[in-house]
Amino acid sequence: MGTRKFIFKKIIEITIIFFVILTLLFFLFRLSPGSPISKMVDPGLTLEDQVLLIEQLGLDRPAFEQYIIYLKNFFTGNLGSSFHYGEAVSSIIMAKLPWTILLFSLSTILAAYAGIVLGKISAWNKGSALDNFLSISALICHTLFIPWFALLLLWVLGFKLGWFPLGGVLSPEIWITGSSIPLKILDVLHHMFLPLMTLFFIHLGSYLLLMRSSMLGVFKEDYIITARAKGLSEKVIRNKHAAKNAALPVLTSVGLSLAFSINGGALTEQVFTWPGIGRELIFAVSNNDYPLAQACFLLIAAVVLVANLIVDLLYAYMDPRITY
Amino acid sequence: MSQNQHIERFQKGWKIFIKNPLGKTGVTLLLIFMLMAIASFFIPLIDPMYDPMTGIDPLIKTSTGPSMQHFLGTDNVGRDLFAQLMEGAKIAFIVGLSSAFISIVMGTVIGMISGYAGGMTDIILMRMADIIMIMPSLVILLILASLFGQFNIWIIVFIIAIMRWPAVSRIIRSQTLSLKSRPFIEASRVAGASNIRIIFRHIMPNVLPLAFLYMTFRVTSAILVEAALSFLGFGDPSQVSWGMMLQWVWKSGYMFQAPYWMIPPGLCISLLTLSFYMLGRAMDEVLDPRLRKEEEER
Repeated sequence: MGTRKFIFKKIIEITIIFFVILTLLFFLFRLSPGSPISKMVDPGLTLEDQVLLIEQLGLDRPAFEQYIIYLKNFFTGNLGSSFHYGEAVSSIIMAKLPWTILLFSLSTILAAYAGIVLGKISAWNKGSALDNFLSISALICHTLFIPWFALLLLWVLGFKLGWFPLGGVLSPEIWITGSSIPLKILDVLHHMFLPLMTLFFIHLGSYLLLMRSSMLGVFKEDYIITARAKGLSEKVIRNKHAAKNAALPVLTSVGLSLAFSINGGALTEQVFTWPGIGRELIFAVSNNDYPLAQACFLLIAAVVLVANLIVDLLYAYMDPRITY
Repeated sequence: MSQNQHIERFQKGWKIFIKNPLGKTGVTLLLIFMLMAIASFFIPLIDPMYDPMTGIDPLIKTSTGPSMQHFLGTDNVGRDLFAQLMEGAKIAFIVGLSSAFISIVMGTVIGMISGYAGGMTDIILMRMADIIMIMPSLVILLILASLFGQFNIWIIVFIIAIMRWPAVSRIIRSQTLSLKSRPFIEASRVAGASNIRIIFRHIMPNVLPLAFLYMTFRVTSAILVEAALSFLGFGDPSQVSWGMMLQWVWKSGYMFQAPYWMIPPGLCISLLTLSFYMLGRAMDEVLDPRLRKEEEER
């Protein structure tokens, strides 16, 4: 099967899955206690606006028609408006998304890189004091309760020592007075440091452990023996032959552990009041703002599916033995 | 295998397990937490003041630090933190073990059916498993909470279990596939045994040990998800769990003033998951000789 055909097949598959998720959510929405109108339409709106919204979302129609309208609205990006903000949820989400992407991608890249490097060192020096220290620390990082770890960092580095701000993403005084751009970037980084560290350490543990065991598995392969027989230096064998192959499973695990990362990301955003999608979802759920919660949920589901597709493709690209 | 051989094998496995530093630490930690959970039944009997949920020290109006009366201090309404911590251990065990058990049962049954039936059934069940596996359980619980309101603890346990069976079913399925072609299965089919009988009488006893190995890892994730949900404020409001304690310290604004309140519950969650994780790793080594060899080489 050609690569193009494979991608096509995968995209169809993802579309179907997403469709199933949409449908399931609609079922649950109708099944849950309380009327659909009370969940989707803010009682604080003027009567005309309420009627307009009910019409738009098809809430006065029978369930099946409502379902069709729901699907249509979803694909045109009309997901209702938030009770709390009084704006269309799609625009709220678009405003929050970049912050989540920034925090998420930076922490994942840093943690995966550090995990691969440290896992390599740990496996190479197997049984040494360094290896024991690294593996045990990784195990502890891996099982830490994320919000608690975040609270500890916040307490010690933010409150006690006062090195970092206690939350948020910007200092208003810097942004209102129109400071230079480098200063603004520094300000964001300053705010990002603690949430970034939280996610970094949590993910570092699992990547390190995975890289270590993957590397130990690779050492037994024939091509490592061949490389040794050829008289290549240990450093070349370690970095060129072993580590490159051992890093493949780590890469796939980035995709597979995405569910875990999203849980952790939402918790971290919540503790550090980082204005991302995860915090928005939690905020929406605690304020009974269903339209907003629904939109956040669907976005997260879509991201998970697309990310898994990308990992599948990357894996095929990096491992020449796999052809589709 | 005779009874004696079974015992012998178990003893040998136990020796390897207990010699392993991970296994030793894991078992020790776990025993401490079990004692805590047992203690939670007796603490309120000493004095109703020590009831983790309703007990209030009449002399205390705000959160106070450790004292003779309250080993770990009290929360902002005068409830004993030590008693809450013990109660939290009980809830953690209940949530972790029951959720893991349900997901193991579901995963085993679905995995066996999927592997044994093959064809379309197999494809549909495994695709379903794939989808559930990649979905973040906390996010699912949150959207369900926004639709259905606050959940009772057993519903939370059940939802976590539903989110967690796929990994088990994948392993059980591949095990079933290899068993399916063994002669004794063929023989019983020829002898006229029904599919259900073959699955539950012949395949199940062979895959169960494997299923229970995975239980320790399920326990960990169930405890973490429940704790996270409670921490966010969507837990069962009638139960004192460790996540709930963290939620209270955070929401009441004592986070920075009362480390004696903030540190213990999070530490307990982390240590309990660590101990289950170590237990799982050590058990892996007992059951998988390849891994053990590696350890002996060093």
